[in-house]
Amino acid sequence: MRARHHWVVRVTHWVNVVAFTVMVGSGLRIFNAYPAFARRGETFCCYPFEHQPIPANLTFGGWLGGARHWHFAMMWVLVLNGLVYLAFIYLHGEWRDLVPRRGDVRDSWEMAKFYLFRRKDHPRQGKHNALQKGAYFALPMLASLAVLTGLAIWKPVQLAPLTDLMGGYVWARYWHFLVMVALVALAVGHVFMVFAVDPYALRAMTTGGYDERLSPEARNARPFYHLLPRRPHGD
Amino acid sequence: MAIDRRDFLRSGSFALAAAVLEACDSRGPRSARKALAFAEGSNESVERSIFRHRAMDFAPEGARTAGMAFPSYFISARMPMWDERMRGPWALEVTGAVKRPLRLSLAELAKLPSVSQRVNHYCVEGWTAVAEWQGVRVSDLARLAGVGADAGYVDFESFDDGYHESWDLASAMHPQTLVAYAMDGHWLGGAHGAPARVHSPVKLGYKNTKYLTRVVFLPERTGGYWSDQGYEWFGGV
Repeated sequence: MRARHHWVVRVTHWVNVVAFTVMVGSGLRIFNAYPAFARRGETFCCYPFEHQPIPANLTFGGWLGGARHWHFAMMWVLVLNGLVYLAFIYLHGEWRDLVPRRGDVRDSWEMAKFYLFRRKDHPRQGKHNALQKGAYFALPMLASLAVLTGLAIWKPVQLAPLTDLMGGYVWARYWHFLVMVALVALAVGHVFMVFAVDPYALRAMTTGGYDERLSPEARNARPFYHLLPRRPHGD
Repeated sequence: MAIDRRDFLRSGSFALAAAVLEACDSRGPRSARKALAFAEGSNESVERSIFRHRAMDFAPEGARTAGMAFPSYFISARMPMWDERMRGPWALEVTGAVKRPLRLSLAELAKLPSVSQRVNHYCVEGWTAVAEWQGVRVSDLARLAGVGADAGYVDFESFDDGYHESWDLASAMHPQTLVAYAMDGHWLGGAHGAPARVHSPVKLGYKNTKYLTRVVFLPERTGGYWSDQGYEWFGGV
């Protein structure tokens, strides 16, 4: 049987889960050392929670120095793993399932309508539905921004042109934080949809096995609806 | 009771998860510390290889000078003050692997060619603060003292209860690395390291020794107050 996801995609996916989790947790611990964006002696316009720390149990690394060691070690795993993934999907053709195409906006709208019960039948789809495609296409884009903004605040003097491009250190740090929020939001939405719509995807992403009769399209599945396969006589 | 493959895998994965959790405190798995130390070493190599003296820091044009909002701390029980009656007049020693060791009074230091720069102070905690620093380039002091070829590191020592931090020579020789004696147009205050301190935008704040007494050129690195507690020794910006 042909695996739904190539083993390179499966391995890089789970490596990324570990790397991304550690990056977010240690990043939040680093943030907590100064949970604000304002330059000393100034105020910052655009963050409503200045000086409110992130709850400690959402952080990783234990203390500032430890979290920094984790962050600056795991960043290499995150970047190298991401490069392996991108190189692979480019060379092996998987990118074709992910790049936006004409009609994706309309198809996304149709998916949203279906999920909101404004449409009866699951829209036709390829490997992924249009909303998934959007998310899986956005993820590497956002991750690249996370890396660039991260470099800008790691080396604001040695890489000053990069930091300046982002509006200086204070803004680069803010963009780095916002990109993290966007990535976490996408990841949370992704995990929610896996469990609520397509739990069979967990197997597909681990061993590669997938029964097309259990795809969300075949089940006409919405979040928490039709998690089991359709009976032969319909329901 | 027969255990089928599924049960075996299930209980096995629980056992594995338990083992991972057990080896984990809030700082992460203990076995990871070697990997983290390796990563710190590799990062230092990367940081040293991209380090350029041409890369300079300038405070953004619209940025406000931190002034009273510039944070400060010391490790002694009380604010370190140089007591002339006890220790004689303060002097800066430039010594170690040098041909002509220097001993400069504050007046002599202030007579040397100085630079004034409005730059960021990058704290390891993530904040920055802008100030105008005036002082003598460490590279100028190095030239006056005639640094030997075997010097690869510099230790900046203080009279703040043994606080010191050692640097790689290249960062110390950066044109923006100063022995500063004035901040925002005034002689350095007690909170900010009077009578003189290291200030440079190319290193995180904790590498910038305050209450400076000695600049020692060395063939080996000698750690530092925060570096010895587990913060990166390099601490470059």
